[in-house]
Amino acid sequence: MKSPTLLALSLALTWLPIATSAANWTSGMTEGKVTLKSAGPITFGPDGILFIADTKSAAIVAVATGDTQPGASKTIKVGGINQKVAALLGTAADQILLDDLAVNPASQTVYLAVTRGRGAGATPLILRVKPDGGLQAVSLDKVKHARAELPDAPVDGVQGEGKRQSNPRLESITDLAFFEDRLLVAGLSNEEFASALRAIPFPFQKVANGTSVEIYHGAHGKFETRSPIRTFVPFKIGNEPQLLAAYTCTPLVQFPLSDIKPAAKIKGKTIAELGNRNRPLDMIVYQKGGKDWLLLANSSRGVMKITTEDIAGAESITSPVSNGTKGSKYETIEAWKGVEQLDKLDALNAVVLRRGEGGVLDLESLPLP
Amino acid sequence: MIGRRGELLLLIWRPALAGFLFVLSWLVPTSLSAAATATTSPSPGFSAVFLRWVPVPRETNRLMIEVSGLARDTLTALQSTNWPATNWPHLFAVYVEQPGAQPVPMLGEHQVQAGWLRFVPAFPLEPGLRYRAVFDAGRLPGTSSAAAGKVTSVLQVPVRPERATTTVTQVYPSADVVPENLLKFYVHFSAPMSRGNIYEHIRLLNEVNQPVELPFLELAEELWSPDMMRLTLFIDPGRIKREVKPLEEVGPALVNGRRFTLLISGSWKDANGNRMKQAFAKPFTVGPPDRDPPDPRRWAYQAPPIRTREPLAVDFAEPMDSALALRMLHVVDASGRPVPGQPFLAERERLWKFLPLHAWKAGRYTLVVESIIEDLAGNNIGRPFEVEISGGTSPQTESVNTKLPFELR
Repeated sequence: MKSPTLLALSLALTWLPIATSAANWTSGMTEGKVTLKSAGPITFGPDGILFIADTKSAAIVAVATGDTQPGASKTIKVGGINQKVAALLGTAADQILLDDLAVNPASQTVYLAVTRGRGAGATPLILRVKPDGGLQAVSLDKVKHARAELPDAPVDGVQGEGKRQSNPRLESITDLAFFEDRLLVAGLSNEEFASALRAIPFPFQKVANGTSVEIYHGAHGKFETRSPIRTFVPFKIGNEPQLLAAYTCTPLVQFPLSDIKPAAKIKGKTIAELGNRNRPLDMIVYQKGGKDWLLLANSSRGVMKITTEDIAGAESITSPVSNGTKGSKYETIEAWKGVEQLDKLDALNAVVLRRGEGGVLDLESLPLP
Repeated sequence: MIGRRGELLLLIWRPALAGFLFVLSWLVPTSLSAAATATTSPSPGFSAVFLRWVPVPRETNRLMIEVSGLARDTLTALQSTNWPATNWPHLFAVYVEQPGAQPVPMLGEHQVQAGWLRFVPAFPLEPGLRYRAVFDAGRLPGTSSAAAGKVTSVLQVPVRPERATTTVTQVYPSADVVPENLLKFYVHFSAPMSRGNIYEHIRLLNEVNQPVELPFLELAEELWSPDMMRLTLFIDPGRIKREVKPLEEVGPALVNGRRFTLLISGSWKDANGNRMKQAFAKPFTVGPPDRDPPDPRRWAYQAPPIRTREPLAVDFAEPMDSALALRMLHVVDASGRPVPGQPFLAERERLWKFLPLHAWKAGRYTLVVESIIEDLAGNNIGRPFEVEISGGTSPQTESVNTKLPFELR
């Protein structure tokens, strides 16, 4: 690993939610059946609340799982998890898609968003990985839940009733994260290149669309373009909440969460360029040795471990890069090859989905590097 | 295991599910039943246990499996709250038979009613797969496993005959020449397609039929239309945007002056698991990059005569993004209300036409054009895909919809 430049950042104890009482998180929730059309990215909020992006319904569902008892630290190893999920759901492994993975920080339990079938009638489900490695379907038949719809965009200049007054939203949700009292949602349209990052207050309000901003990428002070976010993670530098985001065009950028204001246009500060053949897939931040680190899974390099130390004071990269990844220092964790999804299991471990020989997917916990 | 080999039964059910069915049952000695009945513990009383796959009531394409031959006392014990739910999979479960894989009980619901015990799988049984139902009499309340046996029934669901009928019906842009900074393709299919690992079925070939390396933005989310009949395929923006690493390192995916072919493999499966009828190829030539935003003030109109349903026609002077051109233009009347009708595209997405539902009336109208409409290179009205920043400051990019009034007399 290259020696990181030392900068005095107080990054400790920044992940605790602000003082909202436990009872408040489920206020406004109703008990009943949750019907999903799709289960895309998932993430956890406080008190075992699971957020499920239902892209096909253009909605986010918050489910109180009730899974709030702290779990014992444990090693997870479920080999061929795609085959086991297939068996549980009575189908062949090639008919199973593992859409996302999230760890409930309240219990250190791993949850999976899976889809049975690949066609239009595919069934989304949420599964829980039991301590013994067994799989359990999370029943959504009678749960406390709340729903935030992502509304269609109104069309200025067109009045009246009917479909033509607004454009139906055709958008895939590429990532979700909960931070303090907001759910952050990154979306990518199926049609226009413009994309949105939303901050939706939680508990969801009646009109829950929250603030939506457009994200731009400024390349070296010469050009700027809209830049959909592929994956992101919130964290704090000092007392300032920040977002680290990987754009679809591969730069890794940072901007303050306070920039997410109505009608804002956000231009992230480029802190690294990841380069060709290097598609960011998922990322987490963690602390080790008194420092904060970013782990970024990507399609070609194994997992990149990036120091966040010099992010605060770094200038945006302002010149083209001829060789190597520019900006924040990183090392490639070669032993983590094949990692497609990851989440933080506890302070010392991550849990990953990694693809091995023959396309078999394994779920396993790994010590944070 | 106690018991002797039972008979082979062949059942008949609805044709869609008809296939090979083996029901193997073991007759359990009545002496065991009698002995158990004499005790006060829940009775395992049964004389012969049969497994039978039967249709789920009121559902057209699902099967469940039923155990008959259990004594009433046994069924009552199974209904008791003393019978833990965790015992069910050990007593009666269905497994998909997968070579080399550990058996995992399938999700489903156990139901007990007068005369039978049922397991209703949570999902339909799939064509081509083999399912094994196992009833372990030794797990019944009050029975020791040494004294009873397992009853197994294997169901082979027949393979669905392959019907390769799905085709690619259109790829947009339909033009033969596209700009070097083309932002996306839309691939339209004749039937819903399947999700997952789609990019292995799509290739961009160069002039010598070599695949271009990683030309597309490969997203696990896959940008499908809700009906799964249209896929949006973005060219990797890292290979379009100037001065970002992928473009610097390997250059653009499409190169001005060269010929390419977008190839869709016939091995891609549709939503029913059938391969495509045939592969699809779209050959095209690449022209210079387009960095100019579309300008509605330069668009030409052809006003339709009143009292007819002839289409209103707008000439964009360049091909536009097909999906957005159909969504982002609106004809409104003098009060701002939308005129009902159907837009369509012609001349390789260069002409937008609007067929009104009712005959045109004399009056003032407005064509509302949303600024986020895109040309083939992702340029919006008033804003190119890449904005050149002068003096290090960002330009004003707040855009409003364009309103183009016209009058019919």
